[in-house]
Amino acid sequence: MNSSTEKNDAPACEKGASCEFQQNMELLRQTPLFAGLPLEPLKVLAYLAARESYRPGEMLFHQGESDGQAFHLVEGSARLLRETDGVVQELALYGPGVFLGGLALLGDMRRLFSLRAESPVVVLVLNREKFAKVVEQFPEIREKLMEAMVDLVRDWEKRFLLDHAGNCAACAASLGVSVV
Amino acid sequence: MAETAREQVPVTKRSLFSWVWESDLKLQILLLAIIVVTVFARVLPLELQKKIINHAIGQRKLDMLLVYCGYYLIAVVTAGGLKYAIGVIQTKIGQAALANLRKKLYEHILVLPLNYFRKTQAGMVVSSLVTEIVPVGDFVGMALAIPVTNVLTLLAFGGYLFYLNWKMALITMAIYPIIILLIPRLQRKTNQANKKRVDATREISSRIAEVVTGIHEVHGNGSYAIENRKFGEQCDTLERHRVTWNLYKMGVKALNNFIVNLAPFTLFLVGGYLIIQGQFDLGALVAFLSAQEKLFEPWKELMDFYQVYQDASVRYSRTLEYFDEPIEHALAPSGRAPMKLEPRIEIERLSFVVEGGIRLLSDVNMRIEPGEHLALVGFSGSGKSTLALCVGQLYKYTSGSLRLGGQEVAELSKQDMAENLGFVSQAPFIFTGTIRENLLYSCEAALHGAAPVEGGNMPSLDDQIAALQQAGIFVDVLRFGLNAFLRDGSDAALTERLIRVRASFRQEYGEALTDVVEFFDERVYLLHSSVAANLTFGSSTDPAWAGERLARNPAFRAFLDEVQLGGPLLALGGQIAQSTVDILGNLPKDAVFFEGSPIPAETIDEYKDIVRRMARSRLFELPEEDRDRLMDLALGFTPGRHKMVSMPEMLEGMLLEARARFRARIEAERPGVFAFYRADEYLGSQTILDNILFGKAKSLSPQVQEKINQSIIQLLIEEDLLEAIVALGMEFQVGSKGDKLSGGQRQKLAIARCFLKQPRLLIMDEATSALDNKSQARIQNLLETRYKGRSTLIAVVHRLDIIKNYDKVAVMKAGKIVELGGYAELIARKGALYELVHGKK
Repeated sequence: MNSSTEKNDAPACEKGASCEFQQNMELLRQTPLFAGLPLEPLKVLAYLAARESYRPGEMLFHQGESDGQAFHLVEGSARLLRETDGVVQELALYGPGVFLGGLALLGDMRRLFSLRAESPVVVLVLNREKFAKVVEQFPEIREKLMEAMVDLVRDWEKRFLLDHAGNCAACAASLGVSVV
Repeated sequence: MAETAREQVPVTKRSLFSWVWESDLKLQILLLAIIVVTVFARVLPLELQKKIINHAIGQRKLDMLLVYCGYYLIAVVTAGGLKYAIGVIQTKIGQAALANLRKKLYEHILVLPLNYFRKTQAGMVVSSLVTEIVPVGDFVGMALAIPVTNVLTLLAFGGYLFYLNWKMALITMAIYPIIILLIPRLQRKTNQANKKRVDATREISSRIAEVVTGIHEVHGNGSYAIENRKFGEQCDTLERHRVTWNLYKMGVKALNNFIVNLAPFTLFLVGGYLIIQGQFDLGALVAFLSAQEKLFEPWKELMDFYQVYQDASVRYSRTLEYFDEPIEHALAPSGRAPMKLEPRIEIERLSFVVEGGIRLLSDVNMRIEPGEHLALVGFSGSGKSTLALCVGQLYKYTSGSLRLGGQEVAELSKQDMAENLGFVSQAPFIFTGTIRENLLYSCEAALHGAAPVEGGNMPSLDDQIAALQQAGIFVDVLRFGLNAFLRDGSDAALTERLIRVRASFRQEYGEALTDVVEFFDERVYLLHSSVAANLTFGSSTDPAWAGERLARNPAFRAFLDEVQLGGPLLALGGQIAQSTVDILGNLPKDAVFFEGSPIPAETIDEYKDIVRRMARSRLFELPEEDRDRLMDLALGFTPGRHKMVSMPEMLEGMLLEARARFRARIEAERPGVFAFYRADEYLGSQTILDNILFGKAKSLSPQVQEKINQSIIQLLIEEDLLEAIVALGMEFQVGSKGDKLSGGQRQKLAIARCFLKQPRLLIMDEATSALDNKSQARIQNLLETRYKGRSTLIAVVHRLDIIKNYDKVAVMKAGKIVELGGYAELIARKGALYELVHGKK
């Protein structure tokens, strides 16, 4: 998803070279957690979001840390890792367009996983401190965020049930994230 | 002493009048003296009036006329001057009393128990201290002067009337009892009407607020007529109440006027009769009339004073009632110096019960030896923080005993605690000021008001830097120092060394850092430097050409027009203003929001006005001042930092071309006005960091900062510059509530300020919760190596992976300690701690 080619009729951006703010805006609007937000807070979030790039092998976040960041993967791919007793297990591979870490914005959470850049990665980053300031400023979005988060958790487990639960007896016993 | 006895009464128990007695007595006496003279100066003209008519005019004596008129003039001038003097003194006394009340009340509010603030809104405290009590000051200023002046004046005029003719005086005075009878009744009605007015106003405001919030519903339904009708009804009600209130108010005045004006009528009738009968003289009647008229003024002032008094006493009692809570601990010990206590803690049957009978702590027993380290663990709400706060005297336990060094904590004063305790809270608070001020906050507080001397009773710079290192905030502070500017005339040795660092930096890291640093290069447009810096590519040495003045420099503007940049830059400025105001215009002036803004928080309101004007007229039609400000924005625009607008590519090319022309122009016409960027010269207009980089960092992200720091620190050590730059960084202004620091930096600064104090008793309430693993481990390690055996530590811990090396672990549940012992011992027991660490089986 290369958003620099997306149409842009905003007066602030020159034709051809759409400015970063406008691109951020588009990206956030494609993110389920933010899609339903009113334009005003969304603009502020798009403004506060920062672009970061990582070289292959660099970590976006570390297991056990509470970095409070959420990422929208703009370019490149990143690998989810889980370390147990010194052994690193490679898990899902994420590509452009994926949004990760929404929960870390809502509350203090130590990472259960690490995320590693597999190719040169460009991400849009939001952190909890900035995010909290925006929520404080537009308290009405709290409810929308909660709803979006509830949907995300529910949809995740629904998908999991459809994909795996039938053929994994061990997982079935500990299912039920959406009923916490 | 009376003074100290008064100090004992809490401010909230003091009467309104006590502030009058406490005001400056010398001023009050002076005031009284002036008042007596004033009253005399007020009455004298009346007697002179009589003398002028009877003696001078009546007996046709010109010399007497001149003499009496002279006296009259002196009396009038004196009365006027003295009245002004009274006003001055009154203001002084009143404002002094107000300031005094404010300070005392603030002092009282600060020591109120923490519980109190949980139920109190900050806004209420602000408005109480700032606006609510203002009339109290007015009242105190008036309290002596107004009643005394006016009562004395009334008595003097009254006495004079009796001296003239007691019968007529009686007739004149007869009206006042009528007024005293009638006015208060009317006043009561006025007050009632006023109350209704206040209620109606409140209703109408909430109505307006409601409709504004629900405006989409109104638009959606097209219910304009309904809303107009509802509002109209309330408007009419408010109108009715306002009319009634005003009518009563005017009624009070009118009645007063009417009755007072009735007096001359009786006077003419009775006085005229007496003169015709030959029992009274004309001069006396004129004097009588004047005196009678003059009775009215003091009377009116007394009535006004009555109203101010009513208002002040209502506000005073309401405000002070609000803060009337007992203070739990004395501020300072009486009759001794603050005690240094051995950090042994003995807790016996300790309970803390709050309103509603909820037992936050129940029957806690524990003993911590000096130098022992205790970890308090448990689920949230188990009482672990509460227990720590009780030990620190922030909460007052309700029963049982808690001794610190053998002394009951409840009986110790706040200063005793400050002497021994170091406290880091869960969400430490950093106050407006510099890093250094915040770092020294605890140490300075522990001086109990003595004058701080760095290196004497306060830690030396080396100690301060050591504390920063221990808490892991050293690199952050170094970074602030690197972001500082060295002003002209700062020492040449320093800049020389910095240029050396620049050279070695370029040599060693230039290649590796090209993707995070944009190096200054004369041939390239710099996206991370401002438009002005791109154009001039140098630092001005003449204030008229300094960055902030550039937009208003006629020669520079002429140059812009010449290279055809004037118009495009103005348009760019307009775009920046529009987009920024659109995003940030309605947000609070918070550092978070303005960090990446081309418009600083202080001027955003002015740009809001400019944007409003831009909507109505074209750019070149705007007032000159507006165009200059837009030009300011364009010149400061840095595309790499200000993301809401993009830089037109064409403009980049034009600016690059203009750069060469500008340099040629300056060198030809104004040599020396600019120092153009050169790799072997210090750039005064750039930060220390940018001087070392000879360029700009491309991102403010922690990863990029980390990379740059790693490369620079070693070079700084080699040049022995580290301390000098950290010292600069310690002057960094942290912003209101420390909002220019991240959560982790705030926590580290709080830890550093506690370490710097080297307290005997250390209480850390989840003090490292916002830190990354590495910082947390470093602080844990430090506690174990430097503080174990020296200072007693009570740490409330949420993360269980750091408690293994504590001497004792106490597991809390529902306000009780359910387990207490060494870590290994408790894990082996497979009880509550085991469950916490490994999860419930």
